[in-house]
Amino acid sequence: MAAQIAPAERLLNLVIALVNTAGRMTKEQVRTSVAGYQEAPSDDAFERMFERDKDTLRDLGIPILTVTDAGHGDDIGYRVDLDAYALPPLDLTAGELGVLAMAAQVWQDQAVLADTSRALTKLRAVGDAPESTDLVAGLAPRVRAGGGAFGPLVDAVQARQAVRFTYRAATTGEVRERTVEPWKLLARRGGWVLVGRDRDRGASRSFRLSRMEGSVRTVGEPGSFTAPSADELADALQTWASGPERVATLAILPERASAPRARAVPAPPDEPDWSDDPLLAHRDLVHVPFRAEWELAEELVGYGDAVVVLAPAGLRQSVLHLLRTAATLDREVGTDG
Amino acid sequence: MAERASDRLLRMLGMITYLDRHEGVPVEAIAEQFGVSTRQVMDDIDTLWVTGTPGYYPHDLIDFDAASYEQGVVRLTESRGMTRPLRLGAREAVALVAALRAVEAALGDAMDPERAAVLRSALAKLTVATGDAAAAVDVQLSIDAAPDVAAAVATALRHGRRLHLRYVNASDVTTERDVDPVRLVTDDERSYLLAWCLLVDGERLFRVDRVLSAEVLDADAEDHEVRAGAEVFSPGAEGELVTLHLSSRARWVAETTPVDAVRNLDDGSFEVDVRVVQHAWLRHLVLQVADDVLEIRPARIAQEVAAAARAALRAYGEMI
Repeated sequence: MAAQIAPAERLLNLVIALVNTAGRMTKEQVRTSVAGYQEAPSDDAFERMFERDKDTLRDLGIPILTVTDAGHGDDIGYRVDLDAYALPPLDLTAGELGVLAMAAQVWQDQAVLADTSRALTKLRAVGDAPESTDLVAGLAPRVRAGGGAFGPLVDAVQARQAVRFTYRAATTGEVRERTVEPWKLLARRGGWVLVGRDRDRGASRSFRLSRMEGSVRTVGEPGSFTAPSADELADALQTWASGPERVATLAILPERASAPRARAVPAPPDEPDWSDDPLLAHRDLVHVPFRAEWELAEELVGYGDAVVVLAPAGLRQSVLHLLRTAATLDREVGTDG
Repeated sequence: MAERASDRLLRMLGMITYLDRHEGVPVEAIAEQFGVSTRQVMDDIDTLWVTGTPGYYPHDLIDFDAASYEQGVVRLTESRGMTRPLRLGAREAVALVAALRAVEAALGDAMDPERAAVLRSALAKLTVATGDAAAAVDVQLSIDAAPDVAAAVATALRHGRRLHLRYVNASDVTTERDVDPVRLVTDDERSYLLAWCLLVDGERLFRVDRVLSAEVLDADAEDHEVRAGAEVFSPGAEGELVTLHLSSRARWVAETTPVDAVRNLDDGSFEVDVRVVQHAWLRHLVLQVADDVLEIRPARIAQEVAAAARAALRAYGEMI
């Protein structure tokens, strides 16, 4: 036998041994019979090597079962559960593999990227031919990094295990410990959000991952909270859903605000008659569809006097509010010269 | 960098599965399938050849047809029961399915039917293979392009054609230019077209929601050297340094704007330093967060923004 056996080779030998074992293999059997473990210089070194290898394999998705033999007291054995090991029947064409390869690169998060490249290696084994990138040429979708909290939260959502973290509230700036039953992670405009049940409040809440400070710890055992009902989840997600499409009526100076103009739609049928509005003597009437009022208000305010909102009233008020506040900026702030 | 043992293990397991499904595969084809060098494939095969079940006698080992291997073709003759493909781990499945769903939702409509069909079939197969795991994560990408613009960009990218764009910048100035498209970069905020602009003879990022119209030209796009990282907006050191002191509610600014530095203050408020190249952009940002601005340095910026706001209020018929 070779003097030095590489870790990958030792791991492979361990998997093959645990897949093929008649019933189970004890730690001692692994040590004496699986190639690569004889090199461990001491009991301790073997223990560490074997524990680490088991963790590595489980991390890769290889299901190692712990089997105790009633006849042998606390003598623990191991085997790989081959039914849980295998991917359901799957064949992928070169094009499908290409699409998956693109999806594997979407994540900007190094830890998640490592997960998706592993997934891709596994899927390449069932691909008919090397991935074809023709179909996805030129597309580069990206999902921003969720930070260190992302991985532990995904695991906690799937394990239905409560989590505790330090959170800086946006409204007050208050920093406090939160204990949350995690339901779902959302990537939305402006970053990652955890939706779940805040145990202290006894109600569903949303938390931005970027405002979690320090690490996310699990609380209690896996499976220790009841999954939300469909209604509860839908309620909690309501905040993050986009509303029905509405149409804003704008008066825009000639040649200005080309971007909203490009999205213009015909006037809605119930449109009031604006022709008497003195503004329109020098401005064009433009109708722009929108879903989130705040989002359109924040866009339009950037055009300054080039765009005046005529309707709906709520949008007009939002824009006016921003303008009135901004109009006093040079009085209240910036006095440091 | 040395490859991690776990990554190599996965690939070697994958090779057994793959070689069990494909009778006799040239080393080059295996290298291409798994995205590694032929040297690496041969190393892997050599390792596979000496692994097996305890005992490690010839009949215990994974085996290949030696005569065929000498001709550079790998033929698996003994797999030791390792032919079943390994399932995806929970997090692997979540990440991949979520990404694919987001791509489908954002880009599916802009793709031609052939591409959209492949995307959908990949998603369907993967969903069947991974079960409901992906419900944990929901990603939304923003494309924000007019449908005809999205379609023109997709066609030009697919077929390597030049595009004629009408584009409006942050200062509300419209220009017309021909570009050779490189990539469509889509994230949860918005989409950008990275392209070589023939007007300035350099790479440029175009916000797709500001492309007023796009026409596919009857000319092939040329290949251009594009700087690594060109698809990320970076403020650049040449801009003016502006400091915004904001109350806690405006924390999204630090999260969504390319900032030089963020300082958290004890009262929950915070300061961000931003490099400003386009003043129109900064004016817009300050107007959006007006409610939460505690201080702006230099003060001149606050005066400019306030003046712009007063001009707008006059248009609404309000005097301040």
